[in-house]
Amino acid sequence: MSVYVASILTNMALISFLALSAYLVLVVGVVSFGQQAFFGVGAYVTATVTSIYGGHAVTGVFIGMLSGAACALVLAILTARLSGLYFAISTLCFAELCRLGLLQVRAPFNIDGRTTGPDGPEGFSNIRWIFEHNYSVQDFLVLTTVCLVALLGLLFLLERSRIMLRARLVGQDSILAQSLGLRPILYRIVFVTLSGGVAGFGGGLFALFNTYIEPNMFGVMLGVHGLAYAVIGGLGAPIGPLIGVAIDIGLLESIRAISAYRMIAFGGLVALLLILLPQGLISPRFVERMRRWRKLFHA
Amino acid sequence: MDFVQTNIDGLLAGSAYALLALGFSLVFGIMRQINLAYGSSLLVGAALAVWLEPILGLGVVGLFLLTVVACVLAGLYVERLCFAPNRGKTGATVPMIASFAIWMQLDEVSSHLLPSRTHNFPGLEIPPMFFGDLYLRGDQIVQFVVAFTSIAALYYLIYKTRFGLLLRATAGNAETAFLLGAPTGRLRLMTFLLAGLLGGISTFLILSADGQVTPLFGLWSTFKGLIAMMIGGVGSLPGAVIGGLLLGLIEAHSSTQFGAEYRDITTFGILFLILIIRPGGIMGVSAYQTGRLAQERI
Repeated sequence: MSVYVASILTNMALISFLALSAYLVLVVGVVSFGQQAFFGVGAYVTATVTSIYGGHAVTGVFIGMLSGAACALVLAILTARLSGLYFAISTLCFAELCRLGLLQVRAPFNIDGRTTGPDGPEGFSNIRWIFEHNYSVQDFLVLTTVCLVALLGLLFLLERSRIMLRARLVGQDSILAQSLGLRPILYRIVFVTLSGGVAGFGGGLFALFNTYIEPNMFGVMLGVHGLAYAVIGGLGAPIGPLIGVAIDIGLLESIRAISAYRMIAFGGLVALLLILLPQGLISPRFVERMRRWRKLFHA
Repeated sequence: MDFVQTNIDGLLAGSAYALLALGFSLVFGIMRQINLAYGSSLLVGAALAVWLEPILGLGVVGLFLLTVVACVLAGLYVERLCFAPNRGKTGATVPMIASFAIWMQLDEVSSHLLPSRTHNFPGLEIPPMFFGDLYLRGDQIVQFVVAFTSIAALYYLIYKTRFGLLLRATAGNAETAFLLGAPTGRLRLMTFLLAGLLGGISTFLILSADGQVTPLFGLWSTFKGLIAMMIGGVGSLPGAVIGGLLLGLIEAHSSTQFGAEYRDITTFGILFLILIIRPGGIMGVSAYQTGRLAQERI
């Protein structure tokens, strides 16, 4: 597999983490424009752990995931009484504050004759863990795919649990959920925190793979793309957001001839798709129908 | 004296934000939907005008008319593609994502219309005025006056005409208004056209004061309009005006106090605090307390 194909596939896998984190927030019925903040925090923390403190990548990504989740927990508690538009805009504010804050952090380090560490708009360069440990692009693709498949496995297990069933009820009708004795806000805090962890994990891998990150990579465009993938893919199953990613990056990036007109085509396609299938490709109704077919053949 | 100058600069810049916020507030107030493609429909309107103007050779007045017409047409396109087909079928998330997709599309269209990064946008070339130590840019005074004339005209339209009554009825309760015979579909379309009209006017004013149009204008105007609307209070028209002026003042003061790089941090920080402490914004509290907006999911 050529390096070019491998790097496109790795980027698809990395953005899938962001799409899955947007999916987890959408499941509980709120929209977040701020998932890129957790992605960025995960990336910066992982970069700091591996290239400044010389930690192992696994440690780095793990701490990155925890810090993404911690940020998300703080945000979820602060915005507990907001809903709908107010929640969406407050996540946007939070993410922009994170990005603008990172732009002001200037703490360059000199490690083994190379400049590393966060340096404001210049970014965080020389994240050399995968070079130092001789990981090729293809190896990293395998690693990322394994992580993504493991995450999908966990999400499928979660999908079969009662927690997810209740979270979906909260997402569809929070008043009904309340009348059945559930506390919607608790589910929202838990799912937003989970989504922060997923995004932070993806961000950590992103930092290792890119070897260079800067705050402006984690602008609102990144987050809204993740959100759009989740909505196009549908909220029926965790595989939905991945299909959204595959449609955009896989299909359109690979057709080089139309790359200059890519967004014209993609934007129009998404708008038309949402007219035809407002709930996305893998909608909850579609998943329910598939389950009925499966029952038919089992019985 | 510097303090007064900063206030004046802030208010002059804020008048443009107020117009942008009114466009958002109209759409949100009447349809309960967020049009993320608003800024980029204004960008594509400006790009079309700048692209067509040398071909037609109409001068500044022609450019103004072209900008307004192109912005209205772009608004029509967004409404027909993102909002009209999804009405009633889904919540507000799906049209919002559709409008985001159209945002990307219109940004790409404008970058094809304007291949280089910046393009000249002919200004009004009005000489500046001096009052003692105070410095007032002529085109910004025009911007302020036109903005407030438009706001007054909008006020008249919304609160004094039959059309405005129908609009307010639809904003209050769309189903009841429909049952009582209000043509809600056409009214929603008209809302978009009205937002496009206001947006076209503010686009021309902002770009002629800047003297240039860049591809970043779309994101910029979406952000400024959205932030000004949220500060003032969602869906409230007086709130949008107050929010716009306040945003201008906040930006002017924070950039003189802390420097330009802290301007956006201050703005987002204040908005975040407002959302947490007083989610309805400054004017929107009563609307928030009715609980309807609070329960509505997007």
